[in-house]
Amino acid sequence: MNILAEINLFSVGLAGITLLAVGLVFVLILTLAHAKLKVERDPAVEAIEAVLPGANCGGCGLAGCSAYADAVVKDHGLMGKCGPGGESLVREMAAILGIEAAASAPVRAVVHCSAKNHDRINTTDYHGCKTCGETQMIAGAMGCPYGCFGYGDCHKACEFDAIRIIDGLAVVNYDNCVGCGACVQACPRQLIELLPLREDPMLVIACATRDKAKDVRSYCKVGCVGCGLCAKLVPNMFQMKQNLAVIDYEKYGRQEDREKALEKCPRAMMVYVGTKVKIENQEPVNTI
Amino acid sequence: MNPDSGLIVVFVSVALINNLVLTKFLGICPFLGVSRRVDMAFGMGCAVTFVITVSGMVTWLIYTQILFNLGLEYLKYITFIMVIASMVQLVEMYVRKMFPALYDSFGIFLPLITTNCAILGICLFINLWEFGLTEQGSYSFSGFLQALVGSFAGGLGFTLAICIMGGIRENLESADVPKALEGAGITLITAAIMTLAFMGFSGMIKG
Repeated sequence: MNILAEINLFSVGLAGITLLAVGLVFVLILTLAHAKLKVERDPAVEAIEAVLPGANCGGCGLAGCSAYADAVVKDHGLMGKCGPGGESLVREMAAILGIEAAASAPVRAVVHCSAKNHDRINTTDYHGCKTCGETQMIAGAMGCPYGCFGYGDCHKACEFDAIRIIDGLAVVNYDNCVGCGACVQACPRQLIELLPLREDPMLVIACATRDKAKDVRSYCKVGCVGCGLCAKLVPNMFQMKQNLAVIDYEKYGRQEDREKALEKCPRAMMVYVGTKVKIENQEPVNTI
Repeated sequence: MNPDSGLIVVFVSVALINNLVLTKFLGICPFLGVSRRVDMAFGMGCAVTFVITVSGMVTWLIYTQILFNLGLEYLKYITFIMVIASMVQLVEMYVRKMFPALYDSFGIFLPLITTNCAILGICLFINLWEFGLTEQGSYSFSGFLQALVGSFAGGLGFTLAICIMGGIRENLESADVPKALEGAGITLITAAIMTLAFMGFSGMIKG
C-alpha cells in the first residue's frame, strides 16, 4: 500500500525524465562510436550478399553467406560454389561483378591420381581397416606413399554423389560436382584439389608422387617418373616441381602444345577431365 | 560479502568462490557454445570481461549517484539493461573495426552471446552486496573500487572457467566417448565435475 501512495505525477515524471536522460547519454555515446568506428564495406560485397539465398548452410565451405560474399568478390572463381543458388545465382553475381558469366570458370574437384587396381604394384597384403583415414596411418599398407587408396572416404563425404570409386580409384563425375570441397577435406592424402575448370575437357596431372623414377616404377605402372620431357617441350605450361610435373593453368596454352606433351609422356597419368569425358564402368563402391 | 570487504577478498571471492559460471550458473550459453577450442574460448572470455568490467562500473555509478539519490531504485533493472546493451554494441563495433578475424569467426553471435545473464547477474550482485554503503545510508567512493574489482574478477572467473572447459573439450575430441554421451552429454557431465571441483573453494573466506 505504501507503494501505491507514492504513485503521483511527480514521481512518475521524475522516473520518466531520469530514464530519458540516461538513455540520451547512451544514444550520444553510440552515435559517436558509430561515426568513429565505421567499417568501410565494399559496395560490391553488399550487393552480392543481397542476392545470396541467405540460408547460411555452409555448402560453399565458408562460414555463412556474408563470408562467401567477401570471398567471391576477391576470387571470382568461387562463383559456382553456392549449391542452393544454382545457375541463376551465378548469372546474377556475374552481372553485379560486371564480368561475362561464361568467363567465370566453375571450381571443381580434381583427383591427382590415376592408378587403378591393376596399375598398382603392392609388396604387402593389407587386411586391415578398409578406410582411407585409418590406412593412411599405417606405413607400407600400399606401395605408393602418395596415391589413392580407393577405400572411398571421399565418396562417403560427398553429398552430391559426384565422386565414386571405380576399379580402386576415386573418379569425379563432373555433371554432379558443385565444388563444395567436402572430398578435399575427407582425403587424408590431400590428393583432391579444387581447380577452376577453364575448359571442358581440361588436362590435369593425375599424379602426386614426389619420388624419383626408380622408386615410382617399383610401385606404380602409370605414375609420373619426373623425366621432365613435358617441361622441355612446353616450358611455359609444364614445370617440374620435386620430380612431379605441374601444369600452370595461367599459361594453359594451345591444344597442339598439349597434344605434343601428352604424346611424349612415357607414362599414363596426364588425363583430360570434365563433363565431356565419358566415365566407363560406373559401378558402386566396394565397401568392405 | 559485506560493504567493507577488502579488495583482495572481493577479487578472490567473485573469481573463484562465487564463480559466475560454476557456482552461480550464469552465462551457461557461451560457456557451452563457444568452448570448443581454447583460442575461441579465450577470445570470448576477453570480450565478456571487457563488457562486464565497464558495465559493472557504470551501473554502480548510475545506481548510487542517480537512482539512489532520487529514490528511484526500482528503475535499476531497466537502466542496467540499457547500459549493458549499449556496452555490447560498443564492443561489437570495436571488434569489427580492430579485429576483423575475430569478428568473422564469431559473426552474428557476438551481440547475442555477450548479452547473457552473467553480465546482468554481476551488476545485480554488486548491487545486492551494497558495495560502499556506509552506516549513514549513503554510498562512498570506496564502493566504486570494489565494484570495479568485483566485476573484473567476475569476468576473469568466467574466462578461467571457459578456457578450462575449452582445454578439456579439445582433449575429449580424441578420447573414446560412449556414443550415447557424445556432444552435449559429455560436455554437461564435464561441467558438473568442474563445478564439484570448484565447490572445494567454498569456505575459503569466512562470510
